[in-house]
Amino acid sequence: MNREAYRKAFDAIPFSPDFRDRTTELLRDRLREQEKEEHSMHVGKTKKLAVLIAAAIALLAVSVSAVMLWLSPAQVAERLEDPVLAAAFDSEDAVLLEETAQVGDYTVTLAGLVSGQDLSKAPAEYNGQLVSDRTYAVFTLTCTDGEPLEELPDGLSYSPLVSGYHVSAVNAWTLGATCQSFVQDGVAYYLFDTRNLEMFADHTVYFAIYEGGVPDPATFPTAEDGTISLAEDMEGALFTLPLNESKADPAAARAFVEGTGLEFIG
Amino acid sequence: MALTGAQDDASRLVETYSPMLLRLACTRLETPADAEDVVQEVFLKLLTARPAFRDEEHEKAWLIRTTLHRAADLKKAAARRNVPLEEALLASAPEPEDRLLAAVRALPEKYGAVIHLHYYEGYSLKEIGKLLGLPAATVGTRLARGRERLRQSLKEEIE
Repeated sequence: MNREAYRKAFDAIPFSPDFRDRTTELLRDRLREQEKEEHSMHVGKTKKLAVLIAAAIALLAVSVSAVMLWLSPAQVAERLEDPVLAAAFDSEDAVLLEETAQVGDYTVTLAGLVSGQDLSKAPAEYNGQLVSDRTYAVFTLTCTDGEPLEELPDGLSYSPLVSGYHVSAVNAWTLGATCQSFVQDGVAYYLFDTRNLEMFADHTVYFAIYEGGVPDPATFPTAEDGTISLAEDMEGALFTLPLNESKADPAAARAFVEGTGLEFIG
Repeated sequence: MALTGAQDDASRLVETYSPMLLRLACTRLETPADAEDVVQEVFLKLLTARPAFRDEEHEKAWLIRTTLHRAADLKKAAARRNVPLEEALLASAPEPEDRLLAAVRALPEKYGAVIHLHYYEGYSLKEIGKLLGLPAATVGTRLARGRERLRQSLKEEIE
């Protein structure tokens, strides 16, 4: 097989000639609906969500992705009785991601994240110290085959990792991470929080969801350029977090890593 | 009626990415209509979720990954309804182009995307690594293994 034969095969696929026009119009209709919704001052949050869903269903000839029906990161925080954090997820500082990946039989969606000082009514304690400058991430798990989840899956771990730093030195355990979770309507929701990751923002910062325990180099090999990957035989996903590079604090990052005493282990 | 910035952006998304995403979806899906449904869904998801992108490369990577995931979901759903999907595809593929398409669709997901992004879109291993969130070395391994599987599959078809 050569590249020319390959391209010829794909160029011969008969897509609809009006696909672009139809799709552009579909998206514009969708945007008009959204604009109308955003200008409506008297529609409550729940009602607004219902209208958006109805509009999306009306516009989609195909089945609607269940993601549109899931709780937003702010709603997850509200469900966990943290209105302060819910407000943070609704603020302009929050980043909505909606990136998905497959982990074994599950579809994982990293929904959003927000970082900063005093964003939660209950900052975490680590080694006897309150650490209120934190990063919060919401992600969901669903069964890929469409079956509703009835309980939280076993055996999965969640951890930030940072390129250029040893996976044993910078991970959920050293960063004092915590995680709250619940199942609702067949979807498992997780609110993960950790020491603020923005100090590492001049590196690639990953969020790993995987089957296993404390990160080690066998599970997460590091290339010569510092890039971290998941070992081929492991089930898991590595998301890249879009942190604001201007908020990097290399001195704080270095001090943190040195403080772990684990940066040189092999 | 004048177009808003967001509506202009919708046109840009469709014009820029439709051809690539449709072909990419066809590495997993049997019919162009299924690929079109998936790509429309992905664009709608983008409008609904409004993810924050660092730059255009991040936007492109999100679209590629989301298209691959959604196409894979649809393929799995089809496989549950009709178990011998690959066999049926290969059996109904008399032309060389069709045989090649069927062989690509029969590849495991992790090989199909890498093969396509390299062979059709012309991306380097490093670029594919960035788009799929994989190290370049892993992309290289998947490309070599995918190529070998394709070679075997097409050879068996011809023999």
